[in-house]
Amino acid sequence: MATTTTAPAIEFAAEHDTPIPYMQRTRDYYEALGYAPYRWAHYADVPFTPLARPLAQSRVGLITTAAPFQPEAGDQGPGAVYNAGAKFYKVYSVPMDSTPDLRISHVGYDRAHTTAEDINAYLPLARLREAAAAGRVGSLAARLHGAPTNRSHRTTLEVDVIELLDRCRQDAIDAAILVPS
Amino acid sequence: MSLAARHLEANGISTVIMGCAKDIVEHCGVPRFLFSDFPLGNSAGKPFDVPSQVQTLELALRVLERAPGPRTTVQSPLRWNDDARWKLDYNDLSKLSPEKIAERKKEFEAVKNIAKGKREGV
Repeated sequence: MATTTTAPAIEFAAEHDTPIPYMQRTRDYYEALGYAPYRWAHYADVPFTPLARPLAQSRVGLITTAAPFQPEAGDQGPGAVYNAGAKFYKVYSVPMDSTPDLRISHVGYDRAHTTAEDINAYLPLARLREAAAAGRVGSLAARLHGAPTNRSHRTTLEVDVIELLDRCRQDAIDAAILVPS
Repeated sequence: MSLAARHLEANGISTVIMGCAKDIVEHCGVPRFLFSDFPLGNSAGKPFDVPSQVQTLELALRVLERAPGPRTTVQSPLRWNDDARWKLDYNDLSKLSPEKIAERKKEFEAVKNIAKGKREGV
C-alpha cells in the first residue's frame, strides 16, 4: 500500500478522573495529623428487600443527615467552616409538606468545591414532592427524618437506626430514600 | 446512613442511598446506591440546577425499582466539571506544610471537644 494511515489517537480519561478514594485520603490525612486510623463500617453480607409493589403505588420516605438550623449554634450558612456545634445527637422528624431549614455545616462536605447554598443539592425534598405530584411515586411519608452523624458506630447501631426504623414503620412506608451529605 | 439503609432493608423496607462517597458506602455494603461523582454535599444533584436534581432523583428511583440484588451501584452520568482536577484537592497532604498540618490538628482537637461537650450535654 502506498498510503500510510495513522491510527486515531486513543483518548482515555485522565488517570485521576475516578471516584475520590475518600478512605485512603482520610487515613493518610489523619495519620499525618497523628491519629490512629478510623475504621469504617464494613460487612460481607448485605440485606435485600425487593420493592413490594410498583413505585407508583408505594409510599416513600426520606432520611437526611442534614441538621435543623440552630440560631445559637454559630455559622451554619453557605460555606461555613466545619461547625461541630451544629451537630445533633437524636433522630428528629419534620413534616414532609413543610419547608424545613436544614443545613450541612456540621459535616465534612467539600468546602473547596461547593458551598451548600442550595438545599436541593443535598435534600431532594422539592424534587420528591414533584415526583409524587406527577404520580411517579404513589405517596410520600407524612414526615422526613434526620439521622445523627455520630462518630460512634455503637450509638448508630444500638440507638439511631432502631429509632429510624420505628419511625418509618409508624409512617407505613414501602421504601426509603437516604441522602447522606 | 449506610447502617440505617441496611437496618431498614433487613426489616422489610426497600432503600436507596443517594451519595457522593463511593468507596465508603460500598465498603459498608448497602442494598442500592445511586452514586453521583460530585463533591461531597451534592448527593441530590448540582446546586441551582433543577434538571440535574430531577435526573438524579429519577435515577435513584429507577435503582430502587430495578436493582436485581444487593450492592447495586449505579453511577450517574452527570459530570461536576469537564475538568476532573477538583478531585485531587480533598485532604491533599501534598499541599500542606508541617506548620499547616499542626494548625489543622489544633482545629480538629477544638472541633472534637465541641462535639464531645455537645454529645455529653444531651
